[in-house]
Amino acid sequence: MISFIIRRLALSVVLLFIISIISFFIVTLTPGSPYPWGELNPKISAEVKANFRKKFHLDRPLHEQYALIMRDLFTGNLRSIKDDRPVMSRILERLPATVALNLTSIVISLSFGTLLGVTAARYSGHWQDALGSFIAFLFIALPGFWITYMMVVALVKGFGVPILGTHSYGIEFPNSLGSGLDTLWHLLLPATILALGGIASQSRYLRATMIESLREDYIRTARSKGLAEEVILYKHALRNSIRPIIAGIGMVLPALIGGAVVIETIFAYPGMGRLGYEAVLERDYPTLVALNFVVAALVLLGNLISDLLSAAVDPRVRLE
Amino acid sequence: MRRFRSNPVAIASVVVILIFAFTAGGTFLLSITGHQWPCNPNLTNLEQKLLPPCPQHWLGTDNLGRDVLSRMLHGASISLTVGLIAVAVSLGIGMVVGAVAGYFGGIIDQILMRAVDALLCFPTFFLILTVVALLGPSLLNIVIVIGLVSWTGTARLVRSEFLTLRETEYVKGARVLGQNAWHIITRHILPNAAAPILVTAVLGIPDAILSEAGLSFLGFGVQPPQATWGNIIADGKTYLLDAWWLNLFPGLAILIASLSFYLAGDALREAAESRS
Amino acid sequence: MRSIRLFLYGIPITLILLLVAAFVNASFLSVAKKNEMSIGTIGEPSTLNPIQQADSASAQVAGLMFNGLLKYNQDLEVVGDLATTWDLSQETTFQFGLEEEAAKALTFLNGNQPSNSASITTTAHNGKNLTLTLSQPGLTDSENIAHILSEAGFHPLSFPPLEKGGKERSFKAEPIIHFILRKDVRWHDGAPFTSADVAFTYHAIMDERVASPRSSDFELVSSLQTPDPYSVVVRYKKPFSPALLSWMQSILPAHLLEKVEPAKWSEIYNRHPIGTGPFKFGNWKTNEFIRLIKNPDYFRGSPWLDSVVFRVLPDPLTLQLAFQTKQVDFWAVDPWAVKSFEKDKRFDLFSSAGNMYNYIGWNLRRPMFQDLRVRKALAEAINIPQMIKYIIYGHGVQSNGIFTPKMWFYDPRVQPLPYDPKAAASLLDEAGWKPGPDGMRVKEGKRLSFTLLANNGNEVRRDIATLVQDDLKKIGVEVKVEIYEWSVLLKRFVNKGEFDAIVLGWGLGNDFDQYAIWHSSQTHPEELNFVGYNNPDVDHLLTDLRQEYSRPEIIRLAAKLQQTIYEDQPYTFLFVPEGTSVMWKNSYRIRRPGSKPGEWIDSPVTMTKAGWDYDMEWFYRPEYIPKIRATQIIK
Repeated sequence: MISFIIRRLALSVVLLFIISIISFFIVTLTPGSPYPWGELNPKISAEVKANFRKKFHLDRPLHEQYALIMRDLFTGNLRSIKDDRPVMSRILERLPATVALNLTSIVISLSFGTLLGVTAARYSGHWQDALGSFIAFLFIALPGFWITYMMVVALVKGFGVPILGTHSYGIEFPNSLGSGLDTLWHLLLPATILALGGIASQSRYLRATMIESLREDYIRTARSKGLAEEVILYKHALRNSIRPIIAGIGMVLPALIGGAVVIETIFAYPGMGRLGYEAVLERDYPTLVALNFVVAALVLLGNLISDLLSAAVDPRVRLE
Repeated sequence: MRRFRSNPVAIASVVVILIFAFTAGGTFLLSITGHQWPCNPNLTNLEQKLLPPCPQHWLGTDNLGRDVLSRMLHGASISLTVGLIAVAVSLGIGMVVGAVAGYFGGIIDQILMRAVDALLCFPTFFLILTVVALLGPSLLNIVIVIGLVSWTGTARLVRSEFLTLRETEYVKGARVLGQNAWHIITRHILPNAAAPILVTAVLGIPDAILSEAGLSFLGFGVQPPQATWGNIIADGKTYLLDAWWLNLFPGLAILIASLSFYLAGDALREAAESRS
Repeated sequence: MRSIRLFLYGIPITLILLLVAAFVNASFLSVAKKNEMSIGTIGEPSTLNPIQQADSASAQVAGLMFNGLLKYNQDLEVVGDLATTWDLSQETTFQFGLEEEAAKALTFLNGNQPSNSASITTTAHNGKNLTLTLSQPGLTDSENIAHILSEAGFHPLSFPPLEKGGKERSFKAEPIIHFILRKDVRWHDGAPFTSADVAFTYHAIMDERVASPRSSDFELVSSLQTPDPYSVVVRYKKPFSPALLSWMQSILPAHLLEKVEPAKWSEIYNRHPIGTGPFKFGNWKTNEFIRLIKNPDYFRGSPWLDSVVFRVLPDPLTLQLAFQTKQVDFWAVDPWAVKSFEKDKRFDLFSSAGNMYNYIGWNLRRPMFQDLRVRKALAEAINIPQMIKYIIYGHGVQSNGIFTPKMWFYDPRVQPLPYDPKAAASLLDEAGWKPGPDGMRVKEGKRLSFTLLANNGNEVRRDIATLVQDDLKKIGVEVKVEIYEWSVLLKRFVNKGEFDAIVLGWGLGNDFDQYAIWHSSQTHPEELNFVGYNNPDVDHLLTDLRQEYSRPEIIRLAAKLQQTIYEDQPYTFLFVPEGTSVMWKNSYRIRRPGSKPGEWIDSPVTMTKAGWDYDMEWFYRPEYIPKIRATQIIK
């Protein structure tokens, strides 16, 4: 076990660096370069631009730039090209809102997805199952931006409800319940839309595994022993199906800080997705490298945790 | 097959797909011969901009006066093309990678799978942006990019199929008989893996369509004046609160098309599984 | 097992209930608004340090926190802000070979006052130099004096030319601006404002480590002295009339920054600055909002609003949504929506001609665009009136050159080219471009075909490109449209001068100095004359304008500049859009100080020459009536 972990960690570190190198080169080789001055501006002289380039090492060859950025990343000196602030603070200040959003979205997906999946499995072959499948695929097929816009139009034109940002503006709340509910509203709305895909995949997955479990011999034995259907369903089938989900928990880690660019833009929600998107558009190389690094690290870590958990939960799995 | 046929939902979705295919194909053929129906999708007519659905324009007009219905029909052919070609690309790469990893196993497998993991760490948006910026925003390039970022699922699936099938009797026998790897892969393993691969392909088409729509929406899609469903929504975004039809119809089209492919693919999978 | 069921059904149901409760709460929110103004901004400010910022979002926020020495008033005239008065003069120096010649010249001039517009206030001679102080800066008067001197037999030595390609002159002309500062201004931290702050700001701008985009404005300053804490004397190397406007630059606090290395400014100052303005910095939640709170000790009086918040809303649709749900108080209306707002009685609208014009830049290095007839034909084949009617819904005027109608030096007499596709077609025929077999024009085997670039994210420009494509097709010109991201457009095409044609716009201040855009020396990579325009007459006009201080002369030269460039058609000048902003009716009024002390005028928010948001610091919400009573109320 320990040797496995150590080997994996070593492999992951190597992989992490390879990934960061590749992504750095992809980003810098993309045409376009940082230009934090908005429109073409007659006031900006060539010297200012030259100074700017020197400050951010943009005049050095690529491999030197990479080395410098990595050095700054690990010494905590990495600064963003956009506003000259430490990159890690920029990432960390977006973290709470992003985690809140993603956590809520995961809770919604898991709870509704499980309910849907179990119901589908239970009534497998009947109309409830078909309906469940239909709903699941409907959610997956919905273009995110489309449904968001339709909803937004309805809410704004119909009810005039504030929907943007993390809380409503310029309002005096009568008590903390009011402001609490307000924050919740601003959180639930984008989280629900983000969760639609998750609900669908969760329900399909659960349904498939449960149906498979229900076909197992020991279930037949239990039935013949006279156990109530419900007990079988929940106690046995569900329990067994939970295992892969637990194993999948490791992947929650990167999901927590992943970002949905479109949703965040439409709702003006200050999340990581927008940070990454804007950094790409602005060619903010330091932020991009740091962000990539963090995400990749979390993915690899999540993978490792998943593998460990699935081994812990399922004796049939062997770690190589 | 019988299971498939007896499923009304499956039949309905196949019908819808066929409708789309014929519309798209028909529009394409018509445009080659120089005819447009109901009218030229690129004809700008500023006097008639932003009209709601009406007898002359069943689905309304956009901000340059172009007929939305015509643009959507053309968009259909583009969306379906994107779906098919992107899936072909992703299938091609995925099958090769998965087959090699699954058949040869060992170190090759480890390396390839780690590469797959690594690819998953990349924000896809990046790659897309890079390719589009490097090669220019043409339909072909976008399709290739979408294919390039989505082959990992196919690879994983093909690999697991190969891992199982490799251990079967007839494959073992074939190896003993001295047949070379290529022969074994193409003659024996692939035909048996065909069903799940086909299912993945069908399920991959709506993903590609949705990706293209998302790309167009963010502004990195096909160039004007070509129309795609995502394009129409993106162009109409600013007028959302007043010209709802620019958002509703293309979105609905994307939804219905994707949904049909998903449902058909799912039914296919059930049919395939029930056989084994 | 019961518990499993409880969770399975319970959690989803709880979530749904929470959603409904939150929704109900949100839709019945008490509209007990705070005494705060909400402004939506698409871009997020990058820094609040006024000498380091270059984007309009940063400038908008910093504008409420800082003052310059000068500012514009409602009618766009230059008035004092931190300066109470200012005085322009000039020192003209003649150098002679012998000291006696200088002394003789001095006596001569004292006796014969030349009839100039500027009077000579003092004369002095030290050594071989004869120094005159003129009451107004400029070259004409000095040239007049030089002429008189040479006629009288004096031979002053030549000074080297002021710029490359210029001519030698027999004198040195150094304009001087003398500012007298207000004594009652304090920084937000209580420290007094003095001339040391002005000196510090100037030196900081010119400091390389600061990398200020404003440094080009102050390049010609030869020295800045502060004889006492409330005066500043700035001397320039040569006549440069845009210099006065450069003193609208916000001033930084010396006492906080002079001992700190510029590299540290972003930590200790740029994100929470201290200024002299009506509002102080409150807090900044990145990517969400910046809140400013009122400065009760502002030298003009405390603002009525408690705070102003700038909300970062990156998407135009989101901005509109925020306005509709009263989350921001103003919205810059898109042209297509203006009509529906005009009809709606719930809103107040403010429209004015903008300071920006859209154009198509033709790369004059490409052979096909080097023939003026071709450029004229292209301009006449593009249906600009139709563009105005349908892309901006009639809210704009056709552009007739490099200046826009609001500028005081604008020449309305320059005639814009008409839409005349037939004339365009015959011009192209004349230029040798005849229609080929497929309808597209050909000349010596080459087709008249080019690529038109535009940046994505800008609807108007994209629509322009599509329309141009259509219009030009009708006269046999093939146009391919390519849309790129802004940074790619700049790096790959514009900065290298490698493109055919491009749809862009210039948004300029009230500034007649367009040297950077049109002078033939500015055609290197990354410079702004990226079309490669070269007209020696224009080059002279541009440098002359920079040295001219007299208003009538400026108007005359500017008119000539506008006319010449328009005739040359290096761009196809498209249109000047009108800007419209909208506000919920009566959500704000203004109570501003009048011209006499103690006078307060209360009026609704209206359009002024300087914009509807002029004097935004004096806006108030009717729910929070200002404590100082109005002496005059305008309904």
